[in-house]
Amino acid sequence: MLPDSDLVFQDSKSVRKSSLCILCKGSRKLCGKSRCPLLVKYYHRSKVMPLLDRFNLDGSSPPSVFVGRLGYPKVYVGPMVPPIHGNTEILDLPEKWLNKSIDDIINYRFQLVRGMHRTSVHELENPGRIVDLTRELAMATYSADVEAEFTKKPSGRLVLDDSSQPMGPSAPLKGFDVDNLKIDRRIDRAYSDHDLLAKDAVIELHQQGIPVTKIQRAFSVGAFGVRKRRKMVPTRWSITAVDDITGKELREVVKTFGTIDDYRIYWSSRLDNRWAVLMMPTNWRYELIEAWYPETVWNPAKNSRILLINDWEGYEGRTTYADIGGCYYAARLAVCESLVAERRQASTVILREAHPGYILPVGVWNVRENVRNALRQTYESFDSLRSALFYISKRMAIPVKRWIRNSHLLKDRLYQRRLEDFAAG
Amino acid sequence: MFSAKAKSEVLREVVDVISTLVDEAKLNLNKDGLSVKAVDPAHVAMLDLSVGKDAFEEYSADDQEMGVDMDKFKEVLKLAKAGDIISMDYDEEKNRLIMSVGNITRRMALVDTAGMSDPKAPNLNLPVKVTVRAEELRQGIRASESVSDHVALICSPDGFEMTSEGDTDSVNLKLPKDLLESLDCKETVRSLFPLDYFSNMVKAASSAGSITMFLGTDYPVKMEFTISDEKGEVHYLLAPRIESE
Repeated sequence: MLPDSDLVFQDSKSVRKSSLCILCKGSRKLCGKSRCPLLVKYYHRSKVMPLLDRFNLDGSSPPSVFVGRLGYPKVYVGPMVPPIHGNTEILDLPEKWLNKSIDDIINYRFQLVRGMHRTSVHELENPGRIVDLTRELAMATYSADVEAEFTKKPSGRLVLDDSSQPMGPSAPLKGFDVDNLKIDRRIDRAYSDHDLLAKDAVIELHQQGIPVTKIQRAFSVGAFGVRKRRKMVPTRWSITAVDDITGKELREVVKTFGTIDDYRIYWSSRLDNRWAVLMMPTNWRYELIEAWYPETVWNPAKNSRILLINDWEGYEGRTTYADIGGCYYAARLAVCESLVAERRQASTVILREAHPGYILPVGVWNVRENVRNALRQTYESFDSLRSALFYISKRMAIPVKRWIRNSHLLKDRLYQRRLEDFAAG
Repeated sequence: MFSAKAKSEVLREVVDVISTLVDEAKLNLNKDGLSVKAVDPAHVAMLDLSVGKDAFEEYSADDQEMGVDMDKFKEVLKLAKAGDIISMDYDEEKNRLIMSVGNITRRMALVDTAGMSDPKAPNLNLPVKVTVRAEELRQGIRASESVSDHVALICSPDGFEMTSEGDTDSVNLKLPKDLLESLDCKETVRSLFPLDYFSNMVKAASSAGSITMFLGTDYPVKMEFTISDEKGEVHYLLAPRIESE
């Protein structure tokens, strides 16, 4: 176990003030530079694949589409196509990536060439063939054959991002064709309903058991919502939008159930990340605390301390966007799904340690799937918070005291008394 | 039966007090006025509010309960200016509250009160009683908010203190005995409280000149103040934080 010292750790409050990288995660340009220097380092390490030295590409799209965010509301949209045929679903279905290595994931993503077509996100009534086909592809059930023609050869660099999956090479799109396309019946029903709110469409599809990734894909091409208000949503925003909408809905369901009876710890560990999910027998509350080791993505080596950052919500939820970003909402959805399935209520604190082997951001699916995975395992049950924390101290590297110091919910549970504590006598 | 008319600011104060702790509340009505008892979802704080019928312009009611969604109530209040009269009538047949402001009528569905029991206040023996000007407390809270998320209330025979300790900074409000409205204190007491709750409670006392607090050591605080031109009374109870390792 690590010594609990300020030489080793930097707490949430001062992390917020001093470490731009962990707040920005390559997305907000907080350092003022035009490109994130941390990500650029990785770009240079990634080699361009010569397999795409051509103006056209023929392959089976998983299905997969991309909606960019740069230049919003004029953004790049288009299909993502690999140079291979067959069932390529795994290339864009993070729900199946839990047991894959970082290399597997990079390999999947690097095969997908992004076709780019610039359009306005509002242009949905008569957007032209490319946007129409992209939308249909986004709603497809299975892999579909795509023939794409580019105006330039694909140029490759790996695009990394904290929210979305890594992205491979891209090329400006001249046109494309799709064969063997079968549109998902349930998604099509939501698409054809011009009075159904986008929010309600997302909630209904999630209730029908459609993977979040598929809902998000259709959401990104503007397939849902009241007709006149439909628009395309950049891929990375749509991921968090879907996590947030579904999580919020389920949270209200969770609040109607009785609380669990014990303190529980669930566990998962992948890609050199350790996850401990602590559930406590009280009304709904939720907190995510991340600890980034030196030399992990968002904690460059010059800062040699472990950075901790937390975000939380009480019974009423929160009104501002979490500093942690999309991970917060992805993990919350996983927690709500599990509680709804059990028909119980609890307050949940998720502790995440990102160890130095976590060298590349792979997307928020990593958070969602690991928390889901943890909650599928059998849990350790305790009758007091103290014994639960003692158990955590044996399995996590960071001392419990340090977690408590950075946790609103743990401090509240340990120190805040309830009125019934004073009821007797 | 329930039918009443009141100035919008009177109702606004009542709603502000209730919504510090809950979104939905059960109003207990009888011929003398209305009262509300509620506890927040985390069971950290409790409120007991009563407003006499003379706070209203007109008032008549039989014994009954009414479950009200505070957000809906606020929507109606937003339509009114200070001094506007809001009228309320209970529609028994449809279980709705009919509220009118000027030429607008809102028919408001009521909330089922079956799940809302009246919380029982714990019987506390709080040795110290101190009355402070509300403005002083508000100022102290404003100073503490950026420093910490909790606040210590300390009382000694010499006066009242409120301190807030952050990681690096601290804030201290010190009121010697002669700046207090009243002080009944034989021993020094100290309790720590969550600032967000305490702050919301003090802010709800927007028209009260002074706030009376009953304190002990590592014990809940009981706060009392008046609303609606002293025709209404609010009692809050707030549980302490106890920071032991």
